[in-house]
Amino acid sequence: MATVIEMKEDHQKFKEEAETTDIALFVRTSDETMLGWDRQRIVDALMRETYVDFDTAKGIAREVEDLIATSKIKLITAPLIRELVDTKLVERGLEQARKMHTRLGMPLYDVDQLILHPNKENANVPHGPEATNLTLAERIKKEYALLSVFSQDIADAHMRGDIHLHDLGFIDRPYCSGQSLEYIKRFGLSLPNSIAMAKPAKHPEVLLAHMVKFAAALQSHFAGAIGWDSINLFFAPYLVGMSDQELEQLAQMMIFEFSQQAVARGGQAIFTDLNLYWEIPKHFENVPAIGPGGEFTGKTYRDYLNESQRFAKALFDVYQEGDGSGRPFFFPKPLVHITEKFFQTPGHADFLDHICEVASEKGNTYFVFDRGETAKISECCRLSFKLDQTDLEDAKQPWKMRYCALQNVTLNLPRIAYLAQGEDAKLFSKIAEFVEMAVKAHLEKKLFIEKLLSLGEKGPLALLAMDRDGSPYLRMHRASFLVGMVGLNELVQIHTGREMHESKQAFKFGLKVIAHMKLLVDKFSQRYGMRFVLEQTPAESTAYRFAKLDLKYHSPKSGHIVKGDISKGEVYYTNSTYLNNSAVLNPIERVRQEGLFHPLIEAGALTHIWLGEARPLRSSLANFVVKTFRLTQNDQIAFSPEFTTCNSCNRTNRGLRSSCAYCGSEDVDGITRITGYFTKISSWNKGKIGELRNRYRNQTFLKEKEEGLAVGAS
Amino acid sequence: MGLIKIFTKAKCPKCPAVKEIGKELKKEGVPVLNYDLDTIDGLAEASFYSILSTPSIVIEDEEEKEVMSWRGVVPTLQEVKQHLIRGIS
Repeated sequence: MATVIEMKEDHQKFKEEAETTDIALFVRTSDETMLGWDRQRIVDALMRETYVDFDTAKGIAREVEDLIATSKIKLITAPLIRELVDTKLVERGLEQARKMHTRLGMPLYDVDQLILHPNKENANVPHGPEATNLTLAERIKKEYALLSVFSQDIADAHMRGDIHLHDLGFIDRPYCSGQSLEYIKRFGLSLPNSIAMAKPAKHPEVLLAHMVKFAAALQSHFAGAIGWDSINLFFAPYLVGMSDQELEQLAQMMIFEFSQQAVARGGQAIFTDLNLYWEIPKHFENVPAIGPGGEFTGKTYRDYLNESQRFAKALFDVYQEGDGSGRPFFFPKPLVHITEKFFQTPGHADFLDHICEVASEKGNTYFVFDRGETAKISECCRLSFKLDQTDLEDAKQPWKMRYCALQNVTLNLPRIAYLAQGEDAKLFSKIAEFVEMAVKAHLEKKLFIEKLLSLGEKGPLALLAMDRDGSPYLRMHRASFLVGMVGLNELVQIHTGREMHESKQAFKFGLKVIAHMKLLVDKFSQRYGMRFVLEQTPAESTAYRFAKLDLKYHSPKSGHIVKGDISKGEVYYTNSTYLNNSAVLNPIERVRQEGLFHPLIEAGALTHIWLGEARPLRSSLANFVVKTFRLTQNDQIAFSPEFTTCNSCNRTNRGLRSSCAYCGSEDVDGITRITGYFTKISSWNKGKIGELRNRYRNQTFLKEKEEGLAVGAS
Repeated sequence: MGLIKIFTKAKCPKCPAVKEIGKELKKEGVPVLNYDLDTIDGLAEASFYSILSTPSIVIEDEEEKEVMSWRGVVPTLQEVKQHLIRGIS
């Protein structure tokens, strides 16, 4: 509640007694008490919050008091007084003091709009009182971050749209994380500030309950996704002797628990990723397994292949069925790792068919390709943590395998091309300048988070500071610092005159830009001893924001470049290193070409295959997946069908329609993948709507595959 | 006539041997392009050919299509020449 100062009618008296502070003004404070006007409060605030000297503070307080007295306003608010004080600081040239004295908050009109209308910045946030609370808090923390955490040049670069600092509203948390179930299996649920401590689970249902609670606690300490490594394997020691029916029940509980957590932070479902393996990953084969009660079972994980596989199958049975009205589950996302060992493990062909059927029917399956000796944990829309030698050593004690990305900073690549005006040297030097800004932003955020963590288990990040195994839960030395990109395709288009799919030269130029960025982040990693890595930013709202800002600052040129429909405001830049969404390319060619960027983008990349209404045969998709693994460098693919779900008859059918195919009702919602997850289209921002209209769905090609033509990589 | 693309890195132990092959072929009039993966152009070109290890050699035909490649291994000069003749003729 805003503090309000009410002025009684006789301000003249106040004027006359200007030397005193007992004038007839009453201050209605936010802690619901009435205080009389006291000029000294202005002085106190200035002395407490800024570094102005006492005489200046007194002078300002006196001037503001005079101004109020002569203004004849009947009701003045505390924010207004603060603004008046700020103008006095400005008049004196005390810019830094004004900044320190800033009041954070929102105009009444904005709050009104926010309460009445949904926020479309993140389609995973529904509209309701909890969501409003979340957004209000985010707005203030965002302002705080831009004023107090980041230096002015970085904050200005964000405001201008040169770069985008993600999740500013969650400035006091890391970005996202990769988790190990082994931690709660071994240590139970013993969280700082929790009123009860739970010992390690003895039963699978209890382990699941611990996992869900822990995920909710983690969601309140990370801005984004919570990924779980090898979840079917780590559950396996608890599943010995369970019947198929019991296993399916557990799988159903897991998926429903995570898909219905829309009662947590701001009504937002926990962005959960389940990493699944058909085989026992090499690095876990000889690791002692932890079973019920947190005890070692005396066996290693290689002995639990059967339970692990049965659980993976059961999970996909549930995905295939969908929710109560046959819709795909939006969360948790299943990510199946395709490795050399996958193909050596008996039963892989049937399992591949099964997960491809789910991909075709519901679209849930993500196929993550770990070629050669690569091992990784995937999460978020495409982020992954590649495991190095130290991690593989940690794998012997898997509860140590906890990873995080501290922040994501995305570069507006088309902006760089506008500024370069066609000169190569200028372009490459601007890229370096922008990457350096991202690095500086990371250093500033790191400093801030370290300050919070230094307060340990009594501080605001107690959960991340808790120490149960000899090191803090958040292992800062393993943190990644993400440098993302939006609109490579448009950068190339502005600079060379061709889009990347239009010519080999243009495509190669795109590779050159990303190679430059890769070499730069490697250099900065060496310089600072930190892990700066490129990531394909999912850019759910950034691709829209950058396009809008460039229409403002780089018109008329940008008018010819941004994608979408300018007349409807549905504008966007092509995400990350993707080829134009509307380019007519067969899917395998898109997967191959986009995949050429992936080895340079260490922290994760993904290619979407938009299915539209098509429902390809599972064997066609399986063939496609194998070819992608064998013949391309692509890191991850996902097939995205489209659905219409009816709010009247609760049935779901294929394709995007304006009315229900069953009952004809027009009360329907379209559902498809926005960036890295499924959601209702009605919650999308305008930029993504523009992209959806442009997405090229190569249905003929997929139909041809069904008719038996081979999928060939060219 | 086609050409040979050689991909190397400064700190790669087997790379000097491949560079030698390149020099020999150049002397014999074969067009040879050297790419250092520590540079922007080198890394971009390597990405285009999905070169993930050094040293690597790619033989291209006149239409810039890959005829043969050795990735992360060092072929003999003779082997390269044989494929050159086969690929280009």
